[in-house]
Amino acid sequence: MIIRNTFLRQGCRIATIPARQWTRCLATEVDLESIESSLDNSLKETKSIESEIQKQTDQLVPQIDSQTHASLNLLKDGTAQEHNKLQRHRKRTNALGSNIAPHYQPHTLVTRPPSPSDITLELLLASQAHLGHKTSHWHPMNSRYIFGIRQGIHIISLEVTAAHLRRACRVVSGVAERGGLILFVGTRPGQERCVVKAAEMAKGCHLFERWTPGSITNGVRLLGRCKTKVVDEFDQNVPGYENELKDHPVLKPDLVVCLNPLENWVLLHECGLNAIPTIGIIDTDADPTWVTYPIPANDDSLRCVQVIAGALGRAGEEGQRNRSEKAMAGNVTYTPTPLTSASKGGKSRTGGNTTDRYGSQ
Amino acid sequence: MATKLPFRLAYRSSIHCPRCLNRRPLHSTASKQAGIAAPPIDLNNLPPPNASNARIIPASPSYFTGLPDSTDKYLSLISLLRRYQTLPTVPPAQAPRVAWRTLIQYRLLVGEPVRASKYHKIIEVLQRLNRIHPSVLPAEVSTAMETYKREVDPYAVQKRPAIIDEDGRAFGVGRRKSSSAKVYLVQGEGEVLVNGKAINNVFGRIHDRESALWALKATGRLDKYNVWALVSGGGVTGQAEAITLGAAKALMVFEPALKPALRRAGCVTRDPRRVERKKPGHVKARKMPTWTKR
Repeated sequence: MIIRNTFLRQGCRIATIPARQWTRCLATEVDLESIESSLDNSLKETKSIESEIQKQTDQLVPQIDSQTHASLNLLKDGTAQEHNKLQRHRKRTNALGSNIAPHYQPHTLVTRPPSPSDITLELLLASQAHLGHKTSHWHPMNSRYIFGIRQGIHIISLEVTAAHLRRACRVVSGVAERGGLILFVGTRPGQERCVVKAAEMAKGCHLFERWTPGSITNGVRLLGRCKTKVVDEFDQNVPGYENELKDHPVLKPDLVVCLNPLENWVLLHECGLNAIPTIGIIDTDADPTWVTYPIPANDDSLRCVQVIAGALGRAGEEGQRNRSEKAMAGNVTYTPTPLTSASKGGKSRTGGNTTDRYGSQ
Repeated sequence: MATKLPFRLAYRSSIHCPRCLNRRPLHSTASKQAGIAAPPIDLNNLPPPNASNARIIPASPSYFTGLPDSTDKYLSLISLLRRYQTLPTVPPAQAPRVAWRTLIQYRLLVGEPVRASKYHKIIEVLQRLNRIHPSVLPAEVSTAMETYKREVDPYAVQKRPAIIDEDGRAFGVGRRKSSSAKVYLVQGEGEVLVNGKAINNVFGRIHDRESALWALKATGRLDKYNVWALVSGGGVTGQAEAITLGAAKALMVFEPALKPALRRAGCVTRDPRRVERKKPGHVKARKMPTWTKR
């Protein structure tokens, strides 16, 4: 570098001269800020010298517990006792005071979601499900769902929302009852918890990060490494069919629930190509023809999304419960997949219509 | 312990029928078959799994993410954190030092091509879990963290100390652009040899001579040390700057307290700038050919 930073040269020269000497060279009014900054600098210098010296010597190495690798000072500083004291105090005093009920507790929408029968217009209103987008941003096909305009935005009719949501819940519980695989998709930040919970309740699959395009149309490449398993009508694992699983084509969902269809056009398109019905939260600016069962509601409000995902999850849970009860009664609600036992030498073949792909009949 | 009751107070075998006032047996099994009720539902004692009603489902609910194992691990760590997020924590500097698995080791663990961004998210969660105060750390959390630790004791890694050898020499390495310099410093009168030659012959520019010995000049120790430098690669200025860094490192072996002064002088940081590569569509790294309207 041709031009050298002159301050670098002059700065180090100034630093080696004592502070009193160079402040005398300045104007008569002494600048307090510069003195303070020089004091800060000298303090930093002292600390860095200290750390350099510490690195050289062996004596100041802190004692460490060999198992937890935690500093021994931390293990003895009394935090555990303080924490236990606080827990005991809370246990004693939590029940005191007034009980304000019912009131909105955000976490309960994920931990104890509402069921389809708990869906009321009041709940949807409180969850801001009626708030659409600016009137200029609307999709005209949504006019049938819109109640009116207020303060420049479209208001979605909550009766329509409730009706469509109940229909979607019936679809979800019906698919679950017949042993279908339901995929819950919600890729916006914050939707992870409700998507995972809904999938857990409906015993389906979840997706809360970007959908990899081609996961359905090109599943053999993208999902080929993901493991599958064979289960019976009681959801018990049936071992011994690993070779069958390797040959079996990659799984596709039987129903897809999408909480933000505007960001997941590719997923919905792939579902359309593969005859997979979809449920989606359709805002006033979204195209309702992208999904099979639209739920006109506000997809930008996390609270609304959690209510809808919770209701659909509960519907799936109910469907799974019905399926289990029917299985207990001996009624298998789905068409079993024929599995040949050519991989297991000597075991009898299952099912009357099974065609043995290895040729022996 | 039951005392033996008199016969009349024992179990009733017959009652008065309220309609016909006759006595009839309480439990009559004369005409109806017994044991018709289905057995109670027992989810623990189901029949053995059979393949006649088989269906194929994903082994994990994260099937459609394409990275099921990694996603499940992330979810389990997040749920663990959520459960214990109110426990007291320590500042990051006081948390136990842990060598987490590297990205490549993590990929080997899960057997999936995990992106670096997802790996870093998991490391963030682990670092937050590691910050839980050790005296209240639950056993569940420490066992969960074990899977992600490298099998190496981070406290066993000790930096090799920079020493002055038996001939009184301190050694430092400096690099700049594509030049690299090995610099030896000894207590002396201020003699300087670069590749065996006097500095005047090696560096024609005064600026380069000054840069090479900037570490000694800035701290006023030009007359206190002798410099022996072996430098190769690059050009004149690159070699001079490489010697700057090497000499500064060697000087810090003799006098560690000079580090802040050398830092202010600009001798401590290795200048990371390299020559930028030429790109297609450009004439040089940044220069584009002249724009033409047609």
